[in-house]
Amino acid sequence: MNTKRYAAVFSLAAVFIALLLWINLSFGSAEISVPELFRILSGGGDEMNRNIIWNIRLPRAVSAVWLGGGLALSGYLLQTFFGNPIVGPFVLGISSGAKLMVALTMIWFLSAGRNLSQAVMVLAAFAGALISMGFVLLISLKVKKMSVLVVCGIMIGYICSAITDFVVTFADDSNIVNLHNWSMGSLSGMNWDQVRAVCVITVTGLVLTVLMIKPVSAYRLGEAYARSAGVNIMLLRVMLILVSSLLAACVTAFAGPISFVGIAVPHLARTAVNSNAPRVMIPACFLGGAAVTLLCDFAARTVFAPTEVSISSVTAVLLVPVVIFMMIKPKHRDM
Amino acid sequence: MADCRGIQTQQLNIGYDTDLIRKICIEVKPGQIVTLIGPNGCGKTTLLKTLTGELKARGGCVYLDGKDFSSMKEREAARHMSMVMTVRVNPDLMTCREVVELGRYPYTGRAGILSGRDHELVREAMAWTNVEELAETFFQNISDGQRQRVMLARAICQEPEVLILDEPTSYLDIRHKLDLLEKIQRLATEKQIAVLMSLHELEIAMRISDYAAALGEGRVLRTGPVREVFEEAFIRDLYQIKDMDTTLLGSACWFENKEADGAENGTQEDVKEDAEVWKAEQTASPGKARVIMIQGTMSSAGKSVIAAGLCRIFAQDGYRTAPFKSQNMALNSCVTKEGLEMGRAQVMQAECAKTEPVAAMNPILLKPVTDQGSQVIVMGRVRGNMSAADYYSRRKEYVPCILDAFRQLSESNDVVVVEGAGSPVELNLKKDDIVNMGLAGMIDAPVLLVGDIDKGGVFAQLIGTLDLLEKEERSRVKGVIVNKFRGDQKLFESGVRILEEKGRTKVVGVVPYMDVKLDDEDSLSERFLVRRGPVQEPEAKQTAGDSVQIGVIRLPHISNFTDFNPFEQLRCVTVRYVRSLPELDNPDIIILPGSKNTIRDLRWLKETGLAAAIEEKAAKGTILIGICGGFQMLGNRIEDPEGVECGGSEEGLGLLRVNTVLGGEKKRSVFDGSIVHATGVLSHLAGRSVQGYEIHMGSTYPDGEVYEFTSGQTGYCRDNIYGSYVHGLFDRAEIMTSLMEAACSAQNKEADIKGAVDYAAFKEQQYDILAQTLRQSLDMDYLYSIMGLVKHDT
Repeated sequence: MNTKRYAAVFSLAAVFIALLLWINLSFGSAEISVPELFRILSGGGDEMNRNIIWNIRLPRAVSAVWLGGGLALSGYLLQTFFGNPIVGPFVLGISSGAKLMVALTMIWFLSAGRNLSQAVMVLAAFAGALISMGFVLLISLKVKKMSVLVVCGIMIGYICSAITDFVVTFADDSNIVNLHNWSMGSLSGMNWDQVRAVCVITVTGLVLTVLMIKPVSAYRLGEAYARSAGVNIMLLRVMLILVSSLLAACVTAFAGPISFVGIAVPHLARTAVNSNAPRVMIPACFLGGAAVTLLCDFAARTVFAPTEVSISSVTAVLLVPVVIFMMIKPKHRDM
Repeated sequence: MADCRGIQTQQLNIGYDTDLIRKICIEVKPGQIVTLIGPNGCGKTTLLKTLTGELKARGGCVYLDGKDFSSMKEREAARHMSMVMTVRVNPDLMTCREVVELGRYPYTGRAGILSGRDHELVREAMAWTNVEELAETFFQNISDGQRQRVMLARAICQEPEVLILDEPTSYLDIRHKLDLLEKIQRLATEKQIAVLMSLHELEIAMRISDYAAALGEGRVLRTGPVREVFEEAFIRDLYQIKDMDTTLLGSACWFENKEADGAENGTQEDVKEDAEVWKAEQTASPGKARVIMIQGTMSSAGKSVIAAGLCRIFAQDGYRTAPFKSQNMALNSCVTKEGLEMGRAQVMQAECAKTEPVAAMNPILLKPVTDQGSQVIVMGRVRGNMSAADYYSRRKEYVPCILDAFRQLSESNDVVVVEGAGSPVELNLKKDDIVNMGLAGMIDAPVLLVGDIDKGGVFAQLIGTLDLLEKEERSRVKGVIVNKFRGDQKLFESGVRILEEKGRTKVVGVVPYMDVKLDDEDSLSERFLVRRGPVQEPEAKQTAGDSVQIGVIRLPHISNFTDFNPFEQLRCVTVRYVRSLPELDNPDIIILPGSKNTIRDLRWLKETGLAAAIEEKAAKGTILIGICGGFQMLGNRIEDPEGVECGGSEEGLGLLRVNTVLGGEKKRSVFDGSIVHATGVLSHLAGRSVQGYEIHMGSTYPDGEVYEFTSGQTGYCRDNIYGSYVHGLFDRAEIMTSLMEAACSAQNKEADIKGAVDYAAFKEQQYDILAQTLRQSLDMDYLYSIMGLVKHDT
């Protein structure tokens, strides 16, 4: 039965994540041995190393877990909603919308001489995500075809990017630097306050997603059948959009736009568990997203060390081949 | 409703941005399979989508197990109804078992975890549709036939009472089709599920379904048992393959006429059985009677006669039939068993239809009282007098009452024959019409237009009327009838061609001038114009011997003058309507009929000198009979203290010692009594029973020496002068014959008065003759087809 497979996949994912956590914590500009790591985590250890772990690497790794998981979940929800395997928060303009709003807010705040707090960043990103998703939803009231909707989402993404570029062109140099750093997408500089916020938002999203397992599974047969089975379609649609926007906005706000995790991880997870049932896919996506983000973040940090590259570049380089490979692979075999 | 399980729609309008189909009334009961047929794009899928809630209804109601569908929560609705639609689902990595399990969705808790029973039901459903071995296979990897079966299993384990299937057999090869259809059939019979599906394959539809509904032209064209719907002409018309060769399709997708006509014994029984079921159906579901409406190009075109004949034909063919005329302007009324008043013509038509007359057949009756005003009678009860202008401006208020009445008839009958009034194109009065096209629209009736060739100008009548109709109304007219044709019909063949060409319509028949005696409003009115009996056929009369002359005084407000119709069956009787002194001549019997305005007519009688002449004749022993108003006139005095007519009082003819006081409750009742005393020439009739009816306002009391004539103080007599409130006194052959005998012996005439039958039996004969004539002259197959019926017997 497939339970065995699920057990295997989930244990493997757990092992992977543990391994990646260890790598992320131990390796970098300063290498920290395993015994030292345990000492630090239990409160002892070398002062400098403790500082590196507790203030830099651990928050970064923890946020990678939560943000990666949230991003993958967001992608999974959107793919379910659109019934299309190619959509993700990045493709549909959610990330671009968030980015635009953050850019606008950032420039406005900085020119007013004020500092941009994380809370405002999150709010701006969330607002941007919702605005661009709102557009997509508005169009979806008129257009019933999902493919058209996807195209509209992509268009909105382009418009948002264009406006962001426009804004950046006329912004002060210092602002551009700030914005550029942010829009490159990076997990560097995460502190515990941010991690806490990330945690709260992602857990909320996760809980809401889990609550939607039942209607989402009915939604797999399409709207008509879901309704005939007793699903309140309107409510479900709104919830899907809100939750996926919340998750994607959270990531964008704290780490900047991170591409491809949202698209690729659900694919990877699906292949791994060989099912699309939400009750398996939701944990699988979350774990997969966490693992992939940990890996990519590690790569972004270390491959060209001491220079850190954008995490988006890494995710693209690493995940695009995987997605393409999975798509050209012969059909899934039955369990 | 006795049984509201299953699904039913009432006046449902469907469509996306505009109404695609209007006023859909369909019902599917548990255990039935109902199929929607119709060309591509006719709205089958739209209808099914509306029923499943995917589309919003644009009007009307859907009832699921008796509950308003729009007020149901998704979950509740899902427990009653499931579906298999054409939409291609392609769920990624979803096993067939998972697909089927979704059928249990409305029954599981928040987390959607299936209980042991749920798993059991899923297994059962999959076993039932033979897809057990596919349980762990991905839905995306199985064939179309398997997919349909999996989807059916999903629908079944939802435990629905109603199952909706959209084109369930498309994409399937023969084996899978067979398999699926057999499953659907078993679902209906074994699980008593109400199945509604759309099908393109007519051959399948006509075999698997109990009932079918054909959609097209923005409406439900036909519903009924498959045998009635799958009729070659209709199907060819529906799919617009009128003249196309269909041999490429193999077996015909309609029932052969031979079969439908019941050439084989077994088939005939089947047909009968079907018809029976359908009829049983109709009692439970409202508004399903088939309707045909007869409209005329003018008054007296012969609408009532044609309608009456059709009533008899449908009754003969085994349909429960009822006549209907929303509003009747008539002097002649009649009383139903419930004591309600209705138009005589509808009573006659009800007799033709072999059914009990009820007030609903004629919800509004206008009895002209003066030139400007009428007494308005609604559902058999007097509502007071109203001027014509008043009535016209307020007639819209009567629409609910009319529709109620119609519904009442429609619920308890298979066929309702509706009669229009006057011309449908009285353009100045057309607004808010409730008798002709307005009514036809409200009850969605096909219309036949009757023209009167006897009066001349039949082309102008028919084509002119058609041209003046609005486009929508015009499309309601399914054919025209040329009525009252005298002579050789072959001579009119070119006329038929011209009518069909210029009128772009079908001539359903040319009906000969009929000499049938009916209690029909129009023909009754004609009697005043045409002198009847031997005057027209003097030669025939001569051979038959002497004739009995009856003079009926044609009062200006004459009413209920059907009393004398029984005399018409006797060739030896001449009934003359007397409107002036010279016309009185020397009759053997004088009859004073009923009147809508007794006092005025009494004055008229005196002014014309007729009163004096009548008194003189009565003194000489001429038989004088007063019925109702005429009876009142015979008395000493008529008083009108309440001003029912015109107030005051008037001296009567003083021939009977009785006084009349008008007023009080209008008496409407059926009379069943006897003749108590009879004086003069009718003395031997004492003790005979009499049936009839009374309609009058006011009572008459003895005022001196008189004998009670009809029992219950309804009539008095003296010598050869008889007065009674009872209408229909002469309907019994025995009474009429002895009256004639008395008249003959008094005048020493030798008239042939044998062979008289009870008027009831006589009327039956006449109705049958009428039906026979119509059957011969009308294209009855066409008529049945526009009504959505298939003629069963030959």
